[in-house]
Amino acid sequence: MSAPPTPDPFAPAPPPRGRFLHALNPLAKIAGPLPAIVAVLFAHGSALPAALAAATLLLVLVGARLSPRALLGLLVALPAATAVLTLSFAFWSDAGRASVTPLVIALGPVRLHEGALLAGAATALRLAAIVLLSLIGGLTTTGPDLARSLVQQLRVPYRVGYTALAAYRFVPRFGHELDVIRQAHRVRGMTPGRGPVAAVRRRVGYLVPLLAGALRHAERVALAMDSRAFGAHPTRTERHLVPWRVRDTAFVLLSWLLTASAILIALKV
Amino acid sequence: MTDPALELRGVRIRHEGAERFTPDGIDLLVHPGEAVLVLGPSGSGKSTLALALNGLVPQEVPAELQGTVTVDGLPTSGTPVAHLSAHVAMVFQDPDAQIVTATVLDEVCFGPENLLVPVAEVLDRAEHALRRVGLWERRHENPDRLSGGGRQRLAIACALALRSPVIVLDEPTANLDPVGAEEVFAVLGELVAEGGRTLVLIEHALDAALAVIDRVVVLDGTGRLVLDGTVGLLREHADELLALGVWLPTALLAGLRLRAQGFPVPVPPLTPSALTTLLDSLRPATDARPPAPREQTPAPPARPAVTVRGLSVSRGRTPVLHDLDLDVPAGSFTAVVGVNGAGKTTLLHALACVVPPPRGTVDVLGVDPARADPRRLARTIGFVFQNPEHQFIRSTVADELAHTLELQRVARPAIDEQVERMLERFGLVEQRDAHPFLLSGGQKRRLSVGTALLAGAPVLALDEPTFGQDRARARELLDLLAELNRAGTTVLAVTHDLQLVAEHATHVLVLDGGRVAAHGPTAEVLGSGALEAAGLIAPPLARAFRAAADPAWHGVTRLADLASLRPAGDETDAGSGAGAGAAE
Repeated sequence: MSAPPTPDPFAPAPPPRGRFLHALNPLAKIAGPLPAIVAVLFAHGSALPAALAAATLLLVLVGARLSPRALLGLLVALPAATAVLTLSFAFWSDAGRASVTPLVIALGPVRLHEGALLAGAATALRLAAIVLLSLIGGLTTTGPDLARSLVQQLRVPYRVGYTALAAYRFVPRFGHELDVIRQAHRVRGMTPGRGPVAAVRRRVGYLVPLLAGALRHAERVALAMDSRAFGAHPTRTERHLVPWRVRDTAFVLLSWLLTASAILIALKV
Repeated sequence: MTDPALELRGVRIRHEGAERFTPDGIDLLVHPGEAVLVLGPSGSGKSTLALALNGLVPQEVPAELQGTVTVDGLPTSGTPVAHLSAHVAMVFQDPDAQIVTATVLDEVCFGPENLLVPVAEVLDRAEHALRRVGLWERRHENPDRLSGGGRQRLAIACALALRSPVIVLDEPTANLDPVGAEEVFAVLGELVAEGGRTLVLIEHALDAALAVIDRVVVLDGTGRLVLDGTVGLLREHADELLALGVWLPTALLAGLRLRAQGFPVPVPPLTPSALTTLLDSLRPATDARPPAPREQTPAPPARPAVTVRGLSVSRGRTPVLHDLDLDVPAGSFTAVVGVNGAGKTTLLHALACVVPPPRGTVDVLGVDPARADPRRLARTIGFVFQNPEHQFIRSTVADELAHTLELQRVARPAIDEQVERMLERFGLVEQRDAHPFLLSGGQKRRLSVGTALLAGAPVLALDEPTFGQDRARARELLDLLAELNRAGTTVLAVTHDLQLVAEHATHVLVLDGGRVAAHGPTAEVLGSGALEAAGLIAPPLARAFRAAADPAWHGVTRLADLASLRPAGDETDAGSGAGAGAAE
C-alpha cells in the first residue's frame, strides 16, 4: 500500500528563469515547429534536415530547463542514434544508383559507396530533426497546461480537455499497479519458458488485470466528477489561465520565417 | 415546516441484468439538518440507494428506477447529475477514485468552477472548506501525498465547497485504517454539531458513526425499509437486527452480553464511552478475571513456523526494515499491524519471497525462501495479494486452481481430484468454468486463498485480505482463515481491522518504523498499550474496557471474553463459568 516516496509528478514547476520556452503557450510550441516538420518530411537531401536539427538543438539547449538525463539524451544518445541509422539506411539504399559514386568503405564483401551513405544520412537526419522539433514542446510543456490551452484557445469542449487531465493522473497509478501484477504473476509461477514468445504471453497476462482495474477505476472517477458538477455548463470558471501573449505570436512567426528561409536556402544549395 | 431535504416515494431500483429490485419500495422523508444512518445487510441496496439520491442512478449507472426521488425540491429524474450536485454532494468509498486534479486546492475548487462560480468566491469557498477539514496548510500538495484519512477529508471538503445542503456519504471509512476513520468522523461530528446540513451516511463502523447521527433507517435483505427511528431503535430491536444480518455497535453487543451474564444493565450502551460509564457502575466478581490463560492460545511449540534473524530491507535507498528478529509460532494466527509505512507488507513480501530477502535471514519450516526453488517455496508458504485479480492468470476457475498443481508436476488424475476437492471446500463448484474475473468479490477472494493453499503450503501469508470489503465479506474471509488455522495452517495476515483481529488472531505483531514494537498473544498485546505507542488505535471494545476504573475489566479485548465474567456476589457457578469461558 505504502508506495515509496517518488518525485511528485504533479508538483508545480518552479518559475523558469531565462528559459523562455517554458513561458510560451503550449500551442505556440506546436504551431511554430509544425511547418518545419512537414518540410522535413518532404525534403530531399540532408541540408535542410541538418540545418533545422542543428537550429532546434540550439534552441532547446538555450531555451529549456534540461535534466541531466535529457541533456545526455540530446547530446549523446541522439547523435549516436543518427549515426547508427545513417549506416543502416545506407546498406538498404538503392545500390544501383549509388554504385556510380566513389567507394568509401571496402571491407571484403562489404562495399559502401558515397551515394548510399549520403542517402542514409538524409533519412537519419530527417528522423532526428522531427524528434528534435517535437521536443521543443515535449520537453517544456506539462500535460495539464496542454489540456488547458486546448480548451482555452482551441475551444476544445472542456469535458474532453479535463477528462484528459484526469486521465493524466492514471499514469503513475497504473505503473504501480503493473509492478504489483508482475510480482503476483511471478509468485504464481507465471514464468514458463524463456524467449520472446513466453515474454509476449506474460505481457498479455498482465493486460487483463490491468485493464479490468483501469475500467473500474475510470468508471468510479467519472461518477465522482459528475457528482461535482462536471459538465453542468458549456464553460467553467478557469483559475489557471494559459494566455496567448504577443511573445507566442512572435515565436510562431519567427519559427515560420526561419523555416521558410531554411527551405529557400536549401533549394538554392 | 420547511420543505424536506430529501423525499423518496415508492423508490424501487433494479440494476441492469439483475432480477430483484433492491431497494424495493422505499418511502422516506428527511428534513433539513438531520443526520441519517442507513443500515442493512449486504445486498440490501444501500449503496444503490445512495447513488439514486443525486441521480447517478438511473442517469449514469444503468438501472431501472421506479417511484420518485426529490432533492431540495428537484426531481432527480428530470435534472442532470451535474446540476443536482449544487443541491446534493457525494463522498464515495474509494478516496483514490475521487481525485481529479493535481493539488489539494485545485481539487476543492473543481466543483465550484464547474458551477461557474466567480474566481474570488471559488477561492473563498475553498479556503473555508479546507480549513474546516484541517487541510488548508497542505493546499499546495499533491492529493496523493495525503494519508487515506486525509484524502477522504479532502473529499468532504470538496462536498462542502459545493455548498449543497445535502451530503451523501457511501461507506466513507471502509478503505481507511482506524486512525483515518477517526479523522473522518471527527470532521463529520463537527459538521453535524454546527447544524444546517443534511447528512445521509452509509457506514459499517457503527461504533464511531453513532456519535455523529440522530436517525437510523434499516433495510432488510430484500431491500424493504423495515425500521426508521432514533438511534435508540438499535437497542430496542437488537435481536431483530442481528437476525437480519445488520451489524450492531460492539458496545451494544457487549452490553447485551453483560446483561445475559446477570449484570444489571438497565439501558444497553451504544458507544464505547457509554459502555465505559456502564462498566463503572458494575462490579465484576474478582475470582473470574478474564485474562485467564486461553486454551485457544497454545503454548508456543518447540519449533516456530517462521524464524527471522537480522532482516534488513531497503526499498531504493530508503531503509524499510531494520535488523528484524522474529519467531512466529507454528499453528498461530498472527495479525501484522502497524501504521502506513511501518514495513508490514515489506516483511510479508520478504517471508514469502515476493521480493527475495537477503540469504540466511528468513527460515520458513526449514526452508530459506531466498535459496528455495519456486516449486519448493510454493509447497512451504502461500501468498495472497491484496487484490485477488492481480494474481489470476488462467481463464477458468478450475484451470486457475490446476495451475498451482501443474507447476508442482503433479499427475493429471491427481490434479483433477484435488481441484475438485478445493472447489467443493471453497464453494466454487458451480463457478468451475467461469472466468475468475467474473466471480463476485467474495468468490474471487476464496479462489485466491485456494490457489495459495493447493500446493500444500502449511504457512499462508495474506496482504490486507479485508481491505475495501464490506463487513460481511470480511467476516466470511476471517471465518475461513480461522477454520484453516484450526486445521493446522499457520496464518500471517497484514490488516488494519483491529476488532476482527481481536476476535480471530491468536497473536499480534506490531511493527513501528521497521522494527518489532510488540509481539505476543492477542490479549496481551491489545491490553498492553503497544498499539497506541505505535500510532494505532485499539479496537473499540478493548478501549472501552481499558478505560473503566476497575482493573478487573481491563483484560477484556473481545466479546468471547465476557462469557467468563460474573457480577460480584453471584458466586454460585463462578468456577464453572470461568471454565466455560475458556472453552468458548
